[in-house]
Amino acid sequence: MTLLRVDDLEVSHGPLQALWGVSLSISAGEKVGLLGANGAGKSTTLGAIVGHYPAQAGRIAFDGRDETRSDVNSRLSRGMALVPEGRRLFVDMSVRENLEMGAYLAAPRRALAQSLEQVFTLFPILKEKERQAAGTLSGGQQQMVAIGRALMSRPRLLLLDEPFIGVAPLIIRDVMQALAQIAADGITIVLVEQNIHRALEFVERAYVIENGRTVLEGSRGQLLNDASFGAKLLGLD
Amino acid sequence: MPRIVLYGCALALAAGVAAIPAFAGSYLTAFVLALMISFVMAQSWDWVNGQMGYLNLGHFAFYGIGAYAFAILLTRGAPLAPSFAAAVFFGSLAALLVSLPLFRLKGDYFAFATLAIVPLCELLANNFDGLTRGSDGITLPPDYVLVPAFYMAASLAALTIAVTLWLMRSRFGYGLRAIRNDEQVAEVAGIRLFVFKLATLTLSAGFAAMAGAIQAWQFSYIAPNTMFNLGVALVPIAGALLGGSGLLLGPLVGMVLFASLEQALLVKLSHLREAVLGLMIMLIGRFLPGGLLRAKWITGHRSLFWLSRESHFEVAASTGAVSDELPLARRAIDKNQIVLACEGATMAFGGNVAVNNVSLTIRQGEIVGLVGPNGSGKTTLFNLISGIYRPRSGRILIEGKDIADFRADEIAHLGIGRTYQIPRPFAELTVRENIAIGRTFGASKTPLVDAMRTADVFARYVGLDGLLERKAELLSLQQKKALELARALAAEPKLLLVDEVASGLSTVEIATFVKHIRDIRDHYGITVIWVEHIFSALAQVVDRLIVLDNGAVIADAPLAEAMRDEKVLTTYLGHAATEAK
Amino acid sequence: MPLDIFIQVLLNGVLLGGIYALVAFGLSLVYGVAHILNIAHGTLLAISGVVASLIFLKTGWNPVLIIPMIVIPVFAFGYLFHAGLLRPLARRGKHDETIGTVLITTGALIMMSDLTGFAAGTQQRNIPVRSEMLEMGDIILPMAQIWILAGIVALTLALHFYLKYAWFGKAVRAVTQDAFGAALCGVNGPRARALTFAAGSGLVGVAGVLYAIIYPVDPYMGFSLTVRAFTIIVVGGIGNLAGAMIAGLMLGVAEAFTAFLWSPKWAPAISVILLLIILVVFPRGLASWRKA
Repeated sequence: MTLLRVDDLEVSHGPLQALWGVSLSISAGEKVGLLGANGAGKSTTLGAIVGHYPAQAGRIAFDGRDETRSDVNSRLSRGMALVPEGRRLFVDMSVRENLEMGAYLAAPRRALAQSLEQVFTLFPILKEKERQAAGTLSGGQQQMVAIGRALMSRPRLLLLDEPFIGVAPLIIRDVMQALAQIAADGITIVLVEQNIHRALEFVERAYVIENGRTVLEGSRGQLLNDASFGAKLLGLD
Repeated sequence: MPRIVLYGCALALAAGVAAIPAFAGSYLTAFVLALMISFVMAQSWDWVNGQMGYLNLGHFAFYGIGAYAFAILLTRGAPLAPSFAAAVFFGSLAALLVSLPLFRLKGDYFAFATLAIVPLCELLANNFDGLTRGSDGITLPPDYVLVPAFYMAASLAALTIAVTLWLMRSRFGYGLRAIRNDEQVAEVAGIRLFVFKLATLTLSAGFAAMAGAIQAWQFSYIAPNTMFNLGVALVPIAGALLGGSGLLLGPLVGMVLFASLEQALLVKLSHLREAVLGLMIMLIGRFLPGGLLRAKWITGHRSLFWLSRESHFEVAASTGAVSDELPLARRAIDKNQIVLACEGATMAFGGNVAVNNVSLTIRQGEIVGLVGPNGSGKTTLFNLISGIYRPRSGRILIEGKDIADFRADEIAHLGIGRTYQIPRPFAELTVRENIAIGRTFGASKTPLVDAMRTADVFARYVGLDGLLERKAELLSLQQKKALELARALAAEPKLLLVDEVASGLSTVEIATFVKHIRDIRDHYGITVIWVEHIFSALAQVVDRLIVLDNGAVIADAPLAEAMRDEKVLTTYLGHAATEAK
Repeated sequence: MPLDIFIQVLLNGVLLGGIYALVAFGLSLVYGVAHILNIAHGTLLAISGVVASLIFLKTGWNPVLIIPMIVIPVFAFGYLFHAGLLRPLARRGKHDETIGTVLITTGALIMMSDLTGFAAGTQQRNIPVRSEMLEMGDIILPMAQIWILAGIVALTLALHFYLKYAWFGKAVRAVTQDAFGAALCGVNGPRARALTFAAGSGLVGVAGVLYAIIYPVDPYMGFSLTVRAFTIIVVGGIGNLAGAMIAGLMLGVAEAFTAFLWSPKWAPAISVILLLIILVVFPRGLASWRKA
């Protein structure tokens, strides 16, 4: 079943067009990567999917319903959550408060205790640091808070924008395992990641975005075997 | 509108104003005098706001200080000329004194703190009653001075216009507009911010003080609550904004309109004058952000658009054959000369160490690629080298000089030029002006006239020919990146820091760009550090690759060697790349 | 100075400082959430005080009853003022937005002062409550002042706990720290901004009633209070209640002692001069909180 479908999406930032035709089709339970160079339009794609940037043209459908014109909150309450680039935590608020904010809308608020429990099971370190200000955590722990906060809205689709920036290599492994656990719990994952190796270790399938367009799509195996693929991403062609 | 007509109009206006005292009654004469004083206030205020981008709400304090200085001296028997001189002196002095604290602030904070100066002055005028006679105010000798005061005001207004015209086409004025557009970039381009700000505020305060003195002379009575009244204080500001801040005719047209409105609406009111004034100020704030003269029906009108002129520098028509040769000195490369050395440079934001104990050496004439994943510290390193940040520990040496105590503008003058990952051209200025600012304020220090004239060579070099008079904000992303390169090159740097230019360019465009980088090294001896994600671009030109990961250098080797380094491949490129090869 | 006079001056300073802090809370919350420096902020206190004293004069009601009569309209006014005049400016560029907010709030200051002066007269007024005296040995204090102190403490605690534990309070803090992050959590930014503006105005309404019980108010005194509140948040930090309370108390006590030991006419100068000195001496400290 297709959970998220994006057709020929176009988005502009002011006078500058950033997306010129991005199309994705993602089934429930999949782990999908979005790859591409800096400035190719990956972050803009995620932002447009959750409703932060309006679509100029094209269509976004989620779980069979058109969401192209709906606002951030209605998409959030229908089950899309974004872990943004740079984490965007509330640095002077405690870890627990950050997580609670993730459940701000009415429906997730009712399930607050249960969601907190789940996030703390996933990231036990956050339980230990629950009273600490989020800004005082290490990069990796902050990333866990950001992922946890997104999970608090009980999403069906989790979009992650470069979650490993500023995370120590050893901790990256922990975060990856947590993501695998989240996926195993049935949450669909879209991962934007620059490190192809790391991305393909995790996702089953990936799209390549170049200059605001989806130019390539394939399974992990296909992409690893496609000689032009790595070159394309690194601009070696 | 032809130039001759413009001059004719100006001359006719001047003659008309000069004739007023002879023909008009004293009421009209006093009205025009007050209008000219308001215009001086509005226009001198706009040098700080419209040119430099600082919203100074305390401008009227300088007016009051001038009035008081003048009145105190005159009543104690000083002759006229020294009394006026004292007004200007003390007004400027006050500006100098408050500059130090006030320019620590920006935006609305600056606006608010300057507004607080007005009631402080009122308080001081009330409390130092030995000098100011407190709330009783000062009464000046009851001579009839309307006509001389009128001509002084007219001369001051003419001088104000002259200064405005000078600001709009001088090097100094371009410095101010660079500050308005992007202060940090302006400093990195070589503009000494504090001196520019201080000089502008002092100049503006001197004019306000003189205006206050003339008005006090004509009123022959001043008191704290009239000189430092908040409502009155905002009138010239509202007038300038009503016309259009930053435009040549904005403050003039705005002030005339505002004063006429005030005459029409308020003179008959016995109550609620200030309430109506407040309402007018609110409406201007709500509906006219750019002023009347920036309204579409004026800028787009066939015969009215000249009203919205900003009157910037005009370049004489091109002399025809311009060579492709960049007007840069050809420097021989001395491979033993070290241009840049970092010794254990470290920079942290909060707990996040962005640059961690980085040591590297760049020799003259090298082209070095700087790579690493997002967030690995490349841009932070550039910010350390160009003086935006100071390292927490470690040293950075440019041609052997430790830059620890150097400001960003001084570093620019040492010969460091840079571009920004997200382009930051001076958005409201044209391509030509952007390039000329880089050239005249940077290490090259070319006079503005020459910098303007040679700007087209740099523009053509980066492929922006034909766009010289276009505002930078209207360029595409790639064009903005090209403009930044031109601006940095025009400064004639010894070391050029290039931050990601190739992404989004086609293969052909990348090839051109690579050729440029090689060119500027080969011909002009410019050393280059190039941050780039697109390897194929780097591979064509760099001698050496420095790889950063988590703020630390993990490889520093010739390109081919670095590309084989296992550590580099796993942390940065991933195995996919090796397999792809 | 004898102890009883010292205590009385100190208490005056604490009360004054506490009210300043209430004014500063509102200014600081609004700035943190909506990035609007409301220059008319203190003027709302002046007008609330004038209206409260008129109501008291007419009815003689207990000021505790007058507070809601003031706060509710001021809250509504704040909401509409933000939604109608300030919110639309967000579409502009940064400098134009700053110019717009500054002109609108300054214009509002001038207009509101003059309208109030026209309708209610420009003279100074207060709320002359009759108050029993609390005697502790040599020290005699009016009970009204003790009640006001209790009111300030209660309001501060209420605000503190609301921001700390209520969902909307947390949302306000979240928007202050990272507006984009808050939007991703489902916080409606424009609504949060308008409500915070309204709440800040309501708070200043309460402060106005309390102020008029101890000090005279007039329609034109507002701006000097805004200046004090601004100094307080520069010292105490944006969105930092404890910092604002400490800075407010320090300023209030300093003013009270200046007025007593030197001359009341110099007391209002302290805040501006303090502000300028701080800006010269601690530019780094300022830079660090300006980023936050």
